[in-house]
Order: sequence, then structure tokens, then C-alpha cells
Amino acid sequence: MLTRNWRILSRQYSQAVTFRTNESSPQQHNEKQTGLFYTLNQDTCKSLFSNGGFPKSFLKQTKTFTETAIMIRQPALDLINCIKSTNFDAPVIRYVLYGEKGSGKSLTMAHMIHYAHEDGYLILHVPWVSEWLRRVPRHKEMSNSQTHEGFVDLPLDAAAWLIHFKTQNQALLKAGELKVSEEYVWSKREKTEVGAPLSELVEHGITRVKYACDVIYALVREIKTLSNKKQCKTFVAVDGFNSFFYPLTRLNTPTKRKVKPEEVTLTTTFLELTKNDWTNGVILLSADQLAVPDDHQESYFPRYLLRKKGFEHLDPFVPIEVGRYTEKEFLSCASYYRDRLWLRGPPETEIELKFTSASNPYKFMEQCAPL
Amino acid sequence: MSIIIKHWRSTGLPSNFNLRIWRLHSTNADVAAKKGEEEEEFRVLDILKKRDRVQRRVARRNDVQPDRAERMAPDQNWGNVWPGPKTFHPSSVPLPLHQGYVPKGQAPPGKKANAELMKIPNFLHLTPPVIKAQCEAIKQFCTEWPKQLNSEEAIETHYPVEIISSDYCHASPTIRNPLSRIVTLRVKLSTLNLDKHSRDKFLRLVGDRYDEQTDLVTITADRCPVKKQNLEYVDYLLTACYHESLNVEEWEKDKTEDDMEYYDWHKNASKKSLVQWFLRTNNEVCDLNDDDYVQYDVSQIPNAEGYEKAVSSLMNDGESEETVNNYAIAVRKLLGVPEKKIVT
Repeated sequence: MLTRNWRILSRQYSQAVTFRTNESSPQQHNEKQTGLFYTLNQDTCKSLFSNGGFPKSFLKQTKTFTETAIMIRQPALDLINCIKSTNFDAPVIRYVLYGEKGSGKSLTMAHMIHYAHEDGYLILHVPWVSEWLRRVPRHKEMSNSQTHEGFVDLPLDAAAWLIHFKTQNQALLKAGELKVSEEYVWSKREKTEVGAPLSELVEHGITRVKYACDVIYALVREIKTLSNKKQCKTFVAVDGFNSFFYPLTRLNTPTKRKVKPEEVTLTTTFLELTKNDWTNGVILLSADQLAVPDDHQESYFPRYLLRKKGFEHLDPFVPIEVGRYTEKEFLSCASYYRDRLWLRGPPETEIELKFTSASNPYKFMEQCAPL
Repeated sequence: MSIIIKHWRSTGLPSNFNLRIWRLHSTNADVAAKKGEEEEEFRVLDILKKRDRVQRRVARRNDVQPDRAERMAPDQNWGNVWPGPKTFHPSSVPLPLHQGYVPKGQAPPGKKANAELMKIPNFLHLTPPVIKAQCEAIKQFCTEWPKQLNSEEAIETHYPVEIISSDYCHASPTIRNPLSRIVTLRVKLSTLNLDKHSRDKFLRLVGDRYDEQTDLVTITADRCPVKKQNLEYVDYLLTACYHESLNVEEWEKDKTEDDMEYYDWHKNASKKSLVQWFLRTNNEVCDLNDDDYVQYDVSQIPNAEGYEKAVSSLMNDGESEETVNNYAIAVRKLLGVPEKKIVT
């Protein structure tokens, strides 16, 4: 028993240098650590990503590996570098992640959310837009909006997002320094007064699901003004943003009419949020092929995925490509998988796997599974 | 005849007479049988059938001439032996030909009585010396090739329109082939000397018949039954498209930004958002109308020219690794974001 433990320990020690870094704070990550894995703290991981944020396959992998390790990759470092040198008095800069399927856009985004969390940003994170617009479970809650004529509300999804927002920003909301600047009257008896803490607004949306969409709309407006007043800095992350611009959603109204994305209140809210008419914030979006149906997946470039409307909405934005593994990243990942016993066998398998997976991170992970 | 018989019966004449009438109409076989009855004779049982056995014929020798192919002189004039197209004939061809499918390891059957060789078309009448001789004979009817048309380029400049059609030659009861009616016209678009508007209109009219890479417009017609008609139709199409593209109709003034054949940055939303962004960075209020945005001078915005170029190329040349990268570089310059570090 002792020898086995010793062996495992020594193995970990001997390999720790090659593919791991002990630097668990993304603020300190730099070019020297490209390709190395850092482990997320269980608690931060729980508070940031318990309601989504990781792709499903990665979530499964973290369970298998009993740890959440993210590779520090060039796009994330590039983003951190950009954000550090941003002038926060200027209108917000929008970054758009793009890249092939499975190249790690969502994980880069997760890395950046961790960074924003560490850096004290207020995080508005939409884990997957298609979850709202394209996934239709048997009982999708939908209702006509009370406040916006001709619009559709998704109250349950909105409430779920509010919970996600609450868990991600627990510390900032608890501090109670963020105050509401306007009075919101929800009904005869319910209203949010001026100067009430932001958490009260969020709480209202969660308990009174009927108003969840309107609460989000109000919340976004409040956060914009708060950021403009420099009371907080805001980090917006939307994964699968191009789903907002695909002409149709999978939703149907009770009268069997197809719903367009711009008719959903959440869409208008988040399009409002991603405009560059406010300051002191960072907007990170991703254009993903998987967020739209098969017939619009021919290219992974942002203009094609965002379509004309989306491009004009975001322009000028900074496109950031998340590519395949480089040589160094691939070797580091392979040794990490070996350490986790995800990959076994002779060392020649790695050369073969590199060819068969074309250095695509997701494919590499999949192909290692039976080995 | 039976009608007559019935008639006689009804009259009730003696049956002997009736019989005689029958005899009159009976066959010769009946007569022969009667004859046999008269000279009665026993038939002989011929068990070995000696009488029927035919005596073996002695093979008569006749003087067969040797095959014509073997008697041919090696320096004969082949064009005289095989002057025109015809089915293969083994005795006229002094070649050891074999043709036909056989199991593996066997030689294919020779040329004599070989249907396979007769089935296929042959070109024995078109040997190089014969072609040469025939060309020589035709030469007196030809005119000289114009000296100015000494190169492909010269031909292209003087005769920009190219007509492509096919003739078919085959051995079947009819010499007509329906495919020979198809006529294709090809012309380089640059030789039409169109201006900006008419070029755009021409391209919209011809649609996918224009190939950007080769600059060729290809018009194919096969709707008329005869080649000449198709040729005239193709000519008509080119003429009609050309003159139509020169016209400017009243409704063409209604062309909006969506109908544009190229991306004009100044008239698009990209410039508008850039100007808005610039005014916001300077904390100015932007209350411009659409014309103001088009007229707005971007030279006062730092790095805006590179951005304009990058967006235009991204839209006009299509999205590729290069154009997106250029766009990223231009935007980073514009927004003051540090450049991407290239990791080696």
C-alpha cells in the first residue's frame, strides 16, 4: 500500500513539472505557461459553473478525472493581455471567439470567467444560447410578454439564468453595494424601490417567475448604469451568441406560429447588453457552429455564423481564433491524459492519435477514451 | 364446294354419280393409292437398311486458289486495296489479326470467320499515307491562313466569339445524331467593353453562365432541332443580353444596399457603427441622420482607413483565414488593443 502510494506520488511529482502549473489564479498566467494545465478550486468551480458553463463532455471528464483542470491556451492569454491593457473609459470592446467544432471555445470562455471572477468583475454569463432558443423539452414554459407587445417570454429559463447569475456573483451581491437606481413597479403590490440592493431585484425574479424576463431586462439596464458610474466592472460572456441571429428558433407559440429570435424578450435584452453604448466592461462572445442547425455550418468564420445582422450588430469586434492544439499543447495534453490513465499504451500511439484526431482537442479526447 | 354437294343431294340423284363427283375433287394421293392397289406387292423388311445407305462420296479435288491476303505484294498501294470504309474482310487484310474473348491461356481466334472483327468499326481506309494523299488532293481548294493570325492571342483579339459544336460520325442506319444540334458560344467578358453599370447588369442577366476565374461567358443552346437554328439563337441571346445591359431602366434607381453587387463601406452599417463608436469615445452626442453618416469624414478617426479596407475586403473577397486576420489586426489597432502575440 505504502509503496503504491509512493509510486503514485513520485509519478505525479516527476510529471508535475511537464504539464501542470501550480498557478491557480488566471491573473498570473502568462506566456510561459502555455499548454500547461491548472486546476480549478472545487469551491470556485461550484460557484461559477454549477449551473452550466462547461460542455457536457468536459463535465463528464472532470468527474472521471476527479478534478477540473483547464489548459492555459494562447487565446485566453491573448484575451487576458487585451483586457489588462483596455481603457475602461472607452466603450466596451467586444471579443468574439471562433473556431472549429470542439476546439475549445467554451473552455476558453470558462477560463476567462474564472479570470473575471478572480479580478472582481460582475459576471453575466449565458452558458448556451441555444438552450433557450433551440432546445425544446416537452414542457417548455412560454408566455406572451406583458410589457412588450408581440414578444414571447421564457420565464423558467429566465429564472434559471437568474439563479446562475446569483450563484456566480454571490460575493458581489452579498456586499450590497450595488443599488437599483430606478423604481420598478411589477404589480399593484410588488415593486422594487430606488436604492434597493441589486440582490433584491434578482431575488424577486427568482421567486416571482412570471416577472423573470422583465427582471432580467431591468437588471441589464441597472448593470449598464452601474458600470457607467464605475460602481462595478462587468464581464459579459455569451456562448453560442450566433444563435440569436439564426432566422428561426424551434419555439412555437400556442397558435403554432414559429417564433423568430428577435421576438423573444431575452434576445432583445442580451442584444441590448452587447451594444457598445456603455463603458467599464468586457464582452466576450462566441460564434459556434453547433449553436445553429446543420444547414448553416459550412464555415466556422464569424461573419458567416453571425450573418449580416449579427456582424453589423457587433462590428467593430475583435475576432479571436481558438485553434487546434499546437505541438506543445498536444504533448502536454497527452501526458496529462497519461497521468489520469485516460490514455495508455506505447508512446507511439500519440503520434498516431495526433494524425487521426488532427490535433482537435475534442476529437483527441474522444479517441483516447477506449485506449 | 360443299354447297354444291348439298344441292345435288337434295335432287336425289344416284349415289354413284355422287361418288364420281367426289373423285373428281380428290387429291392425287388417292389416285396413287388406287394404282398401288392394282399392282399389289409385298413389302420387304429391310432390317439393316442396306438400300437407304448412301454410298460415301469420293472427295473431289478442286483447285482452290491461295488466299488473296497471301498473294499481296508487301509494297502495294494499300489505299487501292481498301479505298473506303467497309466491314472487315479477312482475305483483303494481310495482317495476322486476332480478336475475341477466350478463357485465360488460349489465343484469341484468328481473323477468318471472326464475327468479332466484323462487328467493330475499322479505320483501315485511313492510314497515314492515305490521309496525306487525300490532304494533298484537297489542298488546291484551300486558301492560305491569314498571316496576322499567327498566335492564339491574335486570334482571340480578332475573333473573340468562340463557337463550339460537335459532329458525330458513326456506323448506324442514320448519319444524324441529335447531339450535334447543341451549340455553345464562349466569349470573354472583357472583350465586350462594358462599363460598370452594364457589366453588373450583364452579369445579373447571364447568371451562372459567367465564370469569374476565366472571365468567360458561356451560352449553350440545344432547344432547336437543327444546329443552324441553335447557332442563330445563341447569337441572338448574346446580342439581346448585351443591348439590354446597356439600357438603364427607370426602376434601377430603386437599388438598395442589399442589391449591391459589391460592398461599399461608406454606405453600410459598419461605417455608422464606427462613427458612433468614435463619437462615444469622445463623449459627444451622436444625432446624425443617414446621409450624415455617409458624408462623415473618417480621416479624423485614427486607424480608420485600415479598418475600412479590412471590412471591405472581408465582405468583397469573402471570408477566409487571411481576411479575418486582417480584420482582427485592423480592429485591434482601431480599438487600441495590443496585437496578438505569435507563439512559435
